[in-house]
Amino acid sequence: MFWHNFKYSLKVLFKSKALIFWTFAFPILLGIFFNIAFSDIENSEKLDIIDIAIVKSDEFNKNIIFKEAFEGLSKGNDKLFDITYTNLNKAQKLLEDDKITGYLVFDDDINIVVSSSGINETILKYVVNEISSNETMINTLIKKDINNEIKKGNYNINYEKIYADAYKLVSKDTAKINNISNKNLSYTMIEYYTLIAMTCLYGGLLSMYIVNLKLANMNSVGKRTAISPIHRGKMLVSSLLASYVVQLTCLAILFIFTIFVLKVDYGNNLPLIMLLALVGSFAGLSLGVIVATLIKTNENAKTGILIAITMLGCFLSGMMGITMKYIVDTNVPLVNMINPASMITDGFYALYYYSTLDRFIFDIVSLLVFSFVIILISYFGLRRQRYDSI
Amino acid sequence: MTVFKAFLKVLLKYKGTIILYSMILIIFGAINMSTSDNNVNFEDSKPDVLIVNSDKGNKISDNLVKYISDNSNINNDLKGENEINDALFYRNINYVIYIPKGYGNDIMSGKNPEIDIKSTGDYQASLAEMILKRYIQMQNVYKMNESSEDEFIKLINNNLSKDVNIEVTSKLDTTKLFNASTYFSFASYSIMAVIIFIVCLVLSSFKEKNVNKRTIVSSMNYKKYNNGLLLASFGYSFILWVFFIILGIIMLGDIMFKSRGLVYMLNSFVFTFCCLTIALFISTLVTNKNAVNGIVNVVSLGSSFLCGAFVPAAWLPNSVLTFAHILPTYWYINSNDLLKTMEVIDFTSLQPIFINMLVVLGFSILFIILNNIVSKYKHNAI
Amino acid sequence: MKNVIEVKNLTKEYKKLKAVDDLSFEVKEGEILGLLGPNGSGKSTTINCILSLLNFQNGSIKIFGKVMKPDSYDLKRQIGVVFQEVAVFEELTVYDNVDYFCGLYISDKKTREKYVNEALELVGLLDYKKFYPKQLSGGLLRRLNIACGTSHKPKLIFLDEPTVAVDPQSRNNILEGIKKLRDNGASIVYTTHYMEEVEILCDRIIILDKGKILASGTASDLKELSDIDEKITVEIEKIDEAILNQISNLNNIDDYTFEMNILTVKYKKGKNNLGGLINFLKKNNVTYNKIFSERPTLNDVFLSLTGKGLRD
Repeated sequence: MFWHNFKYSLKVLFKSKALIFWTFAFPILLGIFFNIAFSDIENSEKLDIIDIAIVKSDEFNKNIIFKEAFEGLSKGNDKLFDITYTNLNKAQKLLEDDKITGYLVFDDDINIVVSSSGINETILKYVVNEISSNETMINTLIKKDINNEIKKGNYNINYEKIYADAYKLVSKDTAKINNISNKNLSYTMIEYYTLIAMTCLYGGLLSMYIVNLKLANMNSVGKRTAISPIHRGKMLVSSLLASYVVQLTCLAILFIFTIFVLKVDYGNNLPLIMLLALVGSFAGLSLGVIVATLIKTNENAKTGILIAITMLGCFLSGMMGITMKYIVDTNVPLVNMINPASMITDGFYALYYYSTLDRFIFDIVSLLVFSFVIILISYFGLRRQRYDSI
Repeated sequence: MTVFKAFLKVLLKYKGTIILYSMILIIFGAINMSTSDNNVNFEDSKPDVLIVNSDKGNKISDNLVKYISDNSNINNDLKGENEINDALFYRNINYVIYIPKGYGNDIMSGKNPEIDIKSTGDYQASLAEMILKRYIQMQNVYKMNESSEDEFIKLINNNLSKDVNIEVTSKLDTTKLFNASTYFSFASYSIMAVIIFIVCLVLSSFKEKNVNKRTIVSSMNYKKYNNGLLLASFGYSFILWVFFIILGIIMLGDIMFKSRGLVYMLNSFVFTFCCLTIALFISTLVTNKNAVNGIVNVVSLGSSFLCGAFVPAAWLPNSVLTFAHILPTYWYINSNDLLKTMEVIDFTSLQPIFINMLVVLGFSILFIILNNIVSKYKHNAI
Repeated sequence: MKNVIEVKNLTKEYKKLKAVDDLSFEVKEGEILGLLGPNGSGKSTTINCILSLLNFQNGSIKIFGKVMKPDSYDLKRQIGVVFQEVAVFEELTVYDNVDYFCGLYISDKKTREKYVNEALELVGLLDYKKFYPKQLSGGLLRRLNIACGTSHKPKLIFLDEPTVAVDPQSRNNILEGIKKLRDNGASIVYTTHYMEEVEILCDRIIILDKGKILASGTASDLKELSDIDEKITVEIEKIDEAILNQISNLNNIDDYTFEMNILTVKYKKGKNNLGGLINFLKKNNVTYNKIFSERPTLNDVFLSLTGKGLRD
């Protein structure tokens, strides 16, 4: 009987087009959309080459330090600027057409003209400041060296050498910086983790559907099963097992798709990834069971409720904007502690980003607690076998 | 009037959906606004930096901290390495600087100690690194010549105090315009989803096989009946548009009452109309409510992702944007982006926006024609 | 004969409505019991209570001499139910549907295959094994519903209006099938609105209204309850008022009417009523064209017991 019911539950679930769309096709479509939208986003946040213009003038030609500094900054593989040397009118036109971030005018002073505030403008300003402070440093060093030479009584000063030494000293990169940040910093991964979380929770649609078919007060087929000589618990477990299998099948396909086509990185610990998927799906399953048993309304409304819960959970765990998860995590951590979508997302995040497993284990345990509490509550609803009205 | 009333009654059954999508728009808008402040004068973009100073009390280390603090937004609320790591991952901070113990003394004794950092690798982090490197570089140059700590610090600070002249040509309040464009671009998702979803669901109730049969045999003129449905759908879309505009005014403020704001409104109205024609077309194509649910999500999320409603279009790959030209949302969002940086609003400068609107209207006409073809075909098939 | 079902003092109240009111009856082995009653009279509620689907406030229900509870699996195994609404999986074929529900009772595969095919044959669906419910017409769907409820060869079968919205061919097929089930030894509880079905099919009939039994017995027992015994209609072109008034003087007359050239005379019990009327007409030189004599139908009984007011 157990396998008889299991077999037919599988058949029913796989044949149900709407369910298969939500649990199987929709996550893959969404994954493709994410890939389209976010594939470039992290690259475009890296520092790009900034287009600027310099207005040609005598002052600029005479200012050797600036001239050389900008020449240095605009060549090589890791150049910072693309520079157009032009006259004032053309520079203004370029700025107006948004072709350049800003332009430099050298008269007695150095002037930067930009169209608005922004990161590129700030960098431009910063570089100009840096060069001018280098200029100051060089002058200080030269003055000092000359004074030293004079003190030594050496009046035959080699200005060229002093300048060259000072310039070399100032422009040599001596700062020792050691980057100790984690290499796995790709935050768009969170998007895909919420996608997995969504699929896990959409599994609730399957369990809800199959449990509904076993409830006499929901469904005429449920009446028929209620009068059959089969122990209810056994029947429910067998049906839920079937929905779990369907759910895991969908999830496996999504994993394969995201790993091999979309190149999503889930970290390296395959057994733990599978554990999280299993536990996350179980949480989704339990969510479906509770909606099926405790909320008495028609099936369409139940589907709506389940989809709304899932989407809200995913929204709070960063599906529509990754910062949302961080905002919730830091300001109202309680919300994400009872949000299964966030627990699943956070579990993958922990596997991807953290080297220790504390956080991952916490997530797994929370998910299990969540599921069992939900199942327990539903159990009291399911235990009822006679109804007041049908 | 009978048709209109019935339409409204069915519509009210789906008010939950309308509220849901409006809430998403409001939350999204509110999050964007929360960072808003007025700036017409030049303001440095400051990276978010966290400093872990293990050498507190030393003048040299403290001066480094002070300099970094002046040039960045310092975030020192975070406790423990885990919180720092989380903040870094979610780009709440861009750069972390760990000043080792004894750093100041090491500098004075002529060493060049290494500094640990954590970085997100984006341009803000690059800027933070420029700031840090500039300071260290200066330290390394000056320390060779100074023996007194105070002199040394004075020298550095003197040098750093000089600031270059910067002139901003644009008189636009970029933050406000940025918010407005973001709001309206994101609204494309809400408008599209709500209109297609509701119109399709409500019309599917009217087009349900038996209800439709009953209408056809009734004494009501079928053309009149259809026109009633069209009018009701249009009325609903119009009210929804007004609602989103009011939301926009509440969130964006006075900008909506200027000529630029009017263009934003007009643009969104044209787009709303286009969404309505799409909705009518889909409702003719499919009447199964389950299928409507799936199609709405795919169509609205798809065009939002492809055209830059969620992620700025400038950050999308070029191939995607080229493809997006076949979707009306692209032209709508393009107008919003143009409005964001447009210096003057006059007839000539608005020309590209009018062209975009014409394209969106063209799409609408296309959908109306398609709708007629499909409904004729279906009518013959009964 | 043994009692298959014993219902004693069953009372079921919904929030405001007393659906079943102190109801007692029994079903005997091997009989077809007809439960008659207008819409909302408590037929389906009674069945749902017997099946332990509904809570009830008062009373006891025994099936095969044992108290029926939700976990009385040994009892449930011997029961088959055909619900009013079609209860099948949209996603499964005709064969799979019957096989699934049969499988809830019969675990042996070979027996099940045999039973499923027999059930499909009984309802005449053997040619539709691979069809999905959506592809079936109303009558075929009803027949599938019956096959799903009875394929496991239950000893006790509940049929809740199984012939609603079914064409005459399908109905005949269904009624024949039900008789066969009885002939194979099953006891049957049958609810319907169709009087002629009850008359053909049922060994005993219970008429319910407002949750109470109005009458019970065989079809002819019930007809005895009728206040009229014979109804004679005569087609007459013309009759004088004076002659018409004399009709009431005839023997056994209950009532008469004359409308649109049709004279209808209702008789209480008695013999030779038709002869008496013909003689009377001849004597008064009234010419008549056609003349019919009818015994009362169950329909008349039903309407006279439950009243002619509209329900629901």
